[in-house]
Amino acid sequence: MTRSAFRKWFWVHKWSSLVCTAFLLVICVTGLPLIFGEEIEHLLDTDPPYASLPADTPNANLDGIVAKSRQMYPNEIIVSTFMDDDEPKVVVTMAPSWEAFKANRKVAHWIKYDARTAQVIRQSKPLTEESPTFLGLMLTLHRDMFAGLPGELFLGAMGFLFVAAIVSGIAVYGPFMRKLDFATVRADRSPRLKWLDLHNMIGVVTLAWALVVGATGVINELSKPMFMLWQNTDVKAMLEPFKGQTTPTVPEMSSVQQALETAQAAVPNMRITSVVFPGSQFGSPFHYLLWAKGKEPLTSRLFSPVMVDARTGKLQAVVEMPWYLRALEVSRPLHFGDYGGMPLKIIWALLDLVTILVLGSGLYLWLSRRTSPAAEADTELVESNAGAALAVSREAAE
Amino acid sequence: MRFGFSQIWRWPAALAVLMAFGLLSALLGQGGVWWVLSWIALAVPLLVIAAAWQKRRRPVESRS
Repeated sequence: MTRSAFRKWFWVHKWSSLVCTAFLLVICVTGLPLIFGEEIEHLLDTDPPYASLPADTPNANLDGIVAKSRQMYPNEIIVSTFMDDDEPKVVVTMAPSWEAFKANRKVAHWIKYDARTAQVIRQSKPLTEESPTFLGLMLTLHRDMFAGLPGELFLGAMGFLFVAAIVSGIAVYGPFMRKLDFATVRADRSPRLKWLDLHNMIGVVTLAWALVVGATGVINELSKPMFMLWQNTDVKAMLEPFKGQTTPTVPEMSSVQQALETAQAAVPNMRITSVVFPGSQFGSPFHYLLWAKGKEPLTSRLFSPVMVDARTGKLQAVVEMPWYLRALEVSRPLHFGDYGGMPLKIIWALLDLVTILVLGSGLYLWLSRRTSPAAEADTELVESNAGAALAVSREAAE
Repeated sequence: MRFGFSQIWRWPAALAVLMAFGLLSALLGQGGVWWVLSWIALAVPLLVIAAAWQKRRRPVESRS
């Protein structure tokens, strides 16, 4: 690498890192409890235990659960029902009206049922009145810093800078290592040299993981715009023939249980986990939208929407997801680290911690710099690599 | 002595390939042995960090 190329890459590395470091530190710290989110949630769960029934007890009829919910809140609409696949629960989400729900999703509240007995286990208050949970707080800080979609896009941009910092870090790594064996940590001279070596060593050793988690994090931050794009193109085209129809009223709606069975028959090798009711901005005005997912480790991350006409109860379509939403679905486990049991989660947490060391040491190296910015890159090199710096200048002249 | 590109990148590249394998094996493999391989592959870079710290060049006065 020529001296001027090194200077340019060093400039990219320095500025992409400096801009994103503070945000990345927040993301790394809040991400730590999120890795164990499922475990923490179970630990803090105060709901009464499920009735102990034989494992093959069939699930209650969904129509009964829906009717019971409507009885409890006769003036409200049902937004969706969620059928968990690792707990025997059905969660019915309701809201005062579609208008209110579209204006603010937090007007919704939910009722948790035992999936087999159809008994109410717990009810939430409207989400506007629920106090934020620890995990909810961590997730908000991690994803959007209380700024909604703009916050997501901003942190997505910070993630992009993080990826740029890794790539430029790869580019400047070589010149630092000309006279140094791999993974040497010179803790015998100055603290600055020790932290430079640690920064370079930990950074280069974990770069594949950091690149994957960084890039998939950026993709996750783009999930809302991607869903909006899908709804404004594919979904819109699918609903075109229904233009002019009204959203069915409750008496007009066909059976939910029937819709579930119709959809299940259409995707026999998948598991249906939720039903979005007609009228939702996340579904269709005229259909039940049922989300089905595969049963294998990877396919369980891939969802297929099944549409059932909410008036006639006839199967409308098993929808093919576009490539960008498939990419989003695959990027989720690679970001969360929740696809290889507890040992993988622990490894994820340790890698997160050493990434904090890389970020912190990078910041320290910048704060403890002693020279004018123009000479900084060269000074870094000379300090780390006295003899080799001469070689860099010789190379530049060649 | 000066190291060339291949000497500098030999170990980092090997570790990156190992990590990529670890990330994918748990995702694409059907549990069981693929999970264990993934844990091992992703734990190796962490062990390298620990070993590098253990082998750091300590100041003379603290050397035994």
